[in-house]
Amino acid sequence: MIKHTEVDGVPAILAPTSGQLHAGLVFRVGQADETLSRSGITHLLEHLTLFPLGIADYHFNGATGSVSTHFHMQGSDRDVATFITRVCASLAALPFERLAKEKEILRTEAAGRGGHVGEPMALWRHGARGYGLAGYPEWGLTALTPDDLRAWAATYFTRENAVLWIAGDEVPAGLRLDLPAGVRRPVPPVTSALPQTPAWFSGSSRATAWDAVVPRSAAAGVFTGVLERELFRALRQEDGLSYTAHAAYEPRGDGSALIVAVADALPEKADAVLGGFVDVLAKLKVGRIDPADVDAVVGKAADALGTAEADAARLPQYAFDMLVGFPLQTLEEAAADLRAVTPGAVAAVAAEALSTGLLMTPGRRSADWAGYATAPQGSESAVPGHAHRSVDVPGHRLVVGQAGVSLVRGDDVATVTFDACAAALAFPDGGRMLVGHDAVVVQVEPTLFEGAAAALPTIDAATAPVRVPMPARDPDDIPRPGDDRRADPRADADTADAGSRGLLVARLVVLWVLLVAVGGFTALLTLGTVMEQGDRAPLVTVLVFLYGLTALIIWGVVRGTRQLRRLRR
Amino acid sequence: MQPAPPAAGDVLTDPAAAHPEVHQLRAALRTRDWTAVRAVTDTAEPALRTGLIRLGGGELGPLAGGEDFLRYVLARDPDDATAAAMLGNHLIDVGWAIRSGARASHVSRSQFEQFHEWLIKAEQVLIDGCARNPRDPALWVPRIITVRALNLGVSEGRRRYDRLSAVAPHHLAGQTQLLQELCPKWHGSWEQAHAFARECLETAPPGALNGVVVAEYHVERWLDLPDGEDRAYLLGQGVRAELHEAAHRSVWHPAFRRTYGWVGAMSTFAMLFSVIGDEPAAASLLSALGPLATEHPWDYLGGEPAEQIRAARGRAFAMGRAR
Repeated sequence: MIKHTEVDGVPAILAPTSGQLHAGLVFRVGQADETLSRSGITHLLEHLTLFPLGIADYHFNGATGSVSTHFHMQGSDRDVATFITRVCASLAALPFERLAKEKEILRTEAAGRGGHVGEPMALWRHGARGYGLAGYPEWGLTALTPDDLRAWAATYFTRENAVLWIAGDEVPAGLRLDLPAGVRRPVPPVTSALPQTPAWFSGSSRATAWDAVVPRSAAAGVFTGVLERELFRALRQEDGLSYTAHAAYEPRGDGSALIVAVADALPEKADAVLGGFVDVLAKLKVGRIDPADVDAVVGKAADALGTAEADAARLPQYAFDMLVGFPLQTLEEAAADLRAVTPGAVAAVAAEALSTGLLMTPGRRSADWAGYATAPQGSESAVPGHAHRSVDVPGHRLVVGQAGVSLVRGDDVATVTFDACAAALAFPDGGRMLVGHDAVVVQVEPTLFEGAAAALPTIDAATAPVRVPMPARDPDDIPRPGDDRRADPRADADTADAGSRGLLVARLVVLWVLLVAVGGFTALLTLGTVMEQGDRAPLVTVLVFLYGLTALIIWGVVRGTRQLRRLRR
Repeated sequence: MQPAPPAAGDVLTDPAAAHPEVHQLRAALRTRDWTAVRAVTDTAEPALRTGLIRLGGGELGPLAGGEDFLRYVLARDPDDATAAAMLGNHLIDVGWAIRSGARASHVSRSQFEQFHEWLIKAEQVLIDGCARNPRDPALWVPRIITVRALNLGVSEGRRRYDRLSAVAPHHLAGQTQLLQELCPKWHGSWEQAHAFARECLETAPPGALNGVVVAEYHVERWLDLPDGEDRAYLLGQGVRAELHEAAHRSVWHPAFRRTYGWVGAMSTFAMLFSVIGDEPAAASLLSALGPLATEHPWDYLGGEPAEQIRAARGRAFAMGRAR
């Protein structure tokens, strides 16, 4: 039984545990509340809050989720009371002298995390807002100021926007929650970048992944377990294609749940994993739910709910539900819901899940053949405006207009309108990267488009509210005209790099001079031979040699010119 | 022992000549009588059933509204595996007819796009069919065709074949389709194709038709070589010995039975033996076939298959008489 109480105006919940006291303070704020141009603010605030507590030998941690932020600690009554009390004190007096260092630490953390498979999925499903921000680097960190952080803390880290949970018999003595007053913040709206589902996009890794959004329910949780068993059986046990195949159920703040399934692949088996994955999803979609799987999943979950620690274990989720306003259940109600799940109910969830699905294929493979719509990779149209021609690719242009910016490369169009621009990354060299709400990116590179530098003030003025100052780029990362790697990533294997362009030009000049000299001499000698009255044989021999030499030089000129043209493309 | 040669002119390439069920199937499809179609397919043994369903899909080609008819049947009962498999085969055949049998370099872009669209339609019908009836070999065989046409990868082809084998071991129709995928002209290599052909031969029960996969492999190699080198290939490097070994384990084995596919298997061996001038071997198969034949692989020799078969008979039986 979960007991409800209150500490210093903050709702608190308690459940008994046989183990050591464990407590957590949860706030209704997370990454999905941020904007791309200020992304990372919650994470940074969490780090700053914990910094002053860092020297003591506590088992504590902080975690920033999509719509909740969590500080928790396990230990003696006194340690826990001190920890929670000091978290609140630290929130009121953030150690801004640590700002630069903590930003650095977060960047290091991001570099080491190595990209969870769910990140690209969040971006493709939701775009560059709300839940989609999980797919982006924390670009906002650089520009964040102490004022930004103070305002963020005042908005979200308040009494009304927090819940305290305690796995233990009572609130430890001395625990104080000195938080400012505020309001309960509603969960952010769910954005979508997918005009049509089920959809697919091609991922960069070997893994095949799929996610779906369904209303939260016991049956949806069971469906996730059934999906995992089917994937494991098909991909690992039957065909030995994957090492891991798992599925996870994540309740979201809006009453729905995200189901994510991932399977890895041996290098040469990625095609088969995709095929097997598609077949498992198709089997569940047509409602072939194995009752034995349902029994097994329900049994395992019911066992977990039957232990003495069950209530203590579900405290963090319970606190989350309180914060997002999801109906609360007693353990008995949850267990009854679980036991009432039938294969038919799971099949109904499967049908709904499959219709909302997003499939990530392993590197460059498509899934149109399996009935999935291609997730949009570009924009429908370009904005009207002034077209800046590409300095090296005929037909490519950058269009800057009143409404936004478009990059047109043949049939591929990318448009970011200023009223739907999530972030404008600004590099000191003049490069700009505009990210639209729909995750479409327009790279503005003044080095590549005629007169584009003159358009920068227009772009900067229109995107000022979402501007993100970026550190200087490595000179090699600034694109240059004629850089083949950019025009066609497959072409760099057989063409010389820009450095050898000078050599090529020099060689061509020498060849042209030779051609004029040798060709002219040959022409004169030909004339002489025709007019020669005596023995022509020695002259003809020389002429044959000269014609051969001329042909060789012409061949060299043609070849060199072609190489040079290829470099320019 | 030299059985009487067939009447010189008779060459029956219609599968109905060997399998009267084909006649019944055609009649049922002509009158759009699905109950009658099912009466024929449901009583057939698995290899024959797969063959009938594949043929049925093709038969519907010239009949107007074939796709509508099968979609109607399937809409009434989405679990009807026979309807799903026949529809899948039908859509594959329509797509393939657009692409034509030519090598990829001779097909126009528009042809390719249409081909791709039809094959995707087929694949989706078959995905749904396999999801509902994963134990039906007639659904997995066309999926080994779509894997190749849609370029879904060798490992996916093998996975589909493994799914087929799990429910129907030694299913020849699936083996010949995977062999195609494993050839270099599609997505494999000669090494992969040969290893698979040997696997089919060596794991098959004595007298089963599967040895013909080895013969098919050699047909593919022969076909890939320029004139002159192709025959030399068949004559060299133990190829002839391997053909004899495969024939002895299949069409020449005492346990050999005339199950569905036997005409094609004997035709393939007969054609190869005829090309390399192994007339006694060719004669034994051509006389066992009587007037029966499949156009494949005689059509690879150029000209009318029937003429090629008659000429081959002439050479084989003349040698027989000369001895």
